[in-house]
Amino acid sequence: MNQPVGITGMGILSSIGDDLSTFSISLRNGKSGIKQMPGKKEPDLSVEIAAEIEKFSFLEKLSQFKNVPEEKLQKARRLGQRAPFVVQTSIISAVEAWKNAQLFNASPASERVGLIIAGQNSTQNYQYNLISKFRENPEYLSPRYALEFLETNQVGILSELFDIKGEGFVVGGASATGNVGIIKGFHSILAGLVDICLVVGVVADLSPLDIQGFINIGAMGGKKYFNQPEKACRPFDTQHEGFIYGQASACVILESELSACKRSVPFQAEIKGGSVNLDSNSSANPNVNGERKAMVSALKQSGLPASDVDYLNTHGSSSPLGDKTEVEAICDVFSSHTSDLWLNATKGLTGHCLYSAGVVEFIATILQMRDGFIHPNKNLEEPIHKGLKFCGEEAVDHRINIAMSNSFGFGGINTSVVLKHGAVYDAVY
Amino acid sequence: MAKEYVYEVVKKVIMEVLPDLDSDIISIEKQLKDLGANSIDRMEVVTMSMEELGLKIPLMSFAQVSNIEGLVDVLTENYN
Repeated sequence: MNQPVGITGMGILSSIGDDLSTFSISLRNGKSGIKQMPGKKEPDLSVEIAAEIEKFSFLEKLSQFKNVPEEKLQKARRLGQRAPFVVQTSIISAVEAWKNAQLFNASPASERVGLIIAGQNSTQNYQYNLISKFRENPEYLSPRYALEFLETNQVGILSELFDIKGEGFVVGGASATGNVGIIKGFHSILAGLVDICLVVGVVADLSPLDIQGFINIGAMGGKKYFNQPEKACRPFDTQHEGFIYGQASACVILESELSACKRSVPFQAEIKGGSVNLDSNSSANPNVNGERKAMVSALKQSGLPASDVDYLNTHGSSSPLGDKTEVEAICDVFSSHTSDLWLNATKGLTGHCLYSAGVVEFIATILQMRDGFIHPNKNLEEPIHKGLKFCGEEAVDHRINIAMSNSFGFGGINTSVVLKHGAVYDAVY
Repeated sequence: MAKEYVYEVVKKVIMEVLPDLDSDIISIEKQLKDLGANSIDRMEVVTMSMEELGLKIPLMSFAQVSNIEGLVDVLTENYN
């Protein structure tokens, strides 16, 4: 029997909350971060609706942390103050998670701590912004660029900040990247390679080029409701028309039961299973079989019947084909139990945070478990399926026991994780 | 005159690269290393100073430089 793996810390910086408590309040109130993009893009794009992190100041955010050793804050400042936006936001959510896991007053063996950066192409906008200057004067390109354009820059920076010397790497899985990171962290601990693993979902800092690409492939919504941005993102509603881009940096600390018990830190939730499978498909379309397999195999790993799951955080991206396919897969997996299964889509509030979406929704799931509610579904006026138990416009009080969280990505990447309410907390404390 | 100006520019760049530094401890005979600059910080001081002065000097020209004054001298020679 494998020893349990749980979550002992979380941190988040998003369009609807710049820490765990404000994020949880926003979830409960169904607050959406989606609006007209504040900064005009160059060139003009046909969709300029998004849920962006606004007015971010790294130094100000860092100075707001209480009870973090001054020496750590100084190190974070040195490593981050001149770094790109995506690195700065990762540092902020990671410091919150490290603090939340009470790791600043512990000294875990460095070699037993792992680090997974769940993010791909996170330097696109940083590079895009350098191009015009580079074409004029290549000589003036900062030597730091050679470090910064690599995704692994974040591995170096965060490992130096937290003195991490176990396994560390970057994972990518398109829109399922966050879940892939969580599942790989879970596996590292199960395999006994590390006792603690920091998993960071990186902000998708899309360049105008990337945004236009998503528009041209037909994946991005926001056209029908171009003058009503608050209505543009509508997962599982008949008027859905594609995803709305969101930004968030999100971080979780996974830990073995033994390590958490030794430190007397409770699990906020326990990971029961996690599964990644492929459709063998190079295109963007979802596949009901792959999605079903991801859910079934995560359940099988967890040793739980589908009927034990009482809440599902859907991938629900507001994509017509994506929502329809997921609904079909959910109906297959849960069959008659769907009447007892609460469903919502966090992307309706945060937008689609792409690489970090899996981690954002994992955290949203745990916060709803912790605080006993199901967050509202925004803009779900006419559901595409009548027999499912979607949360409405208001939050519902509900004590979640077993939850599932789905993420699916381009390239036929299907993932699902199963979580249990703070099990060790109940058993040990 | 030119050397003084170049030194001022270099000092400003050093402060930008090492924002936590107390500007009073910068002096021309010191090595950037002594100020806490690592190898990339030092490369960056060179690149940014060139940009600030509108110069394009082959990086090889800085190979023999051993302190801030050496850097200022190479830059000044090219600035005139």
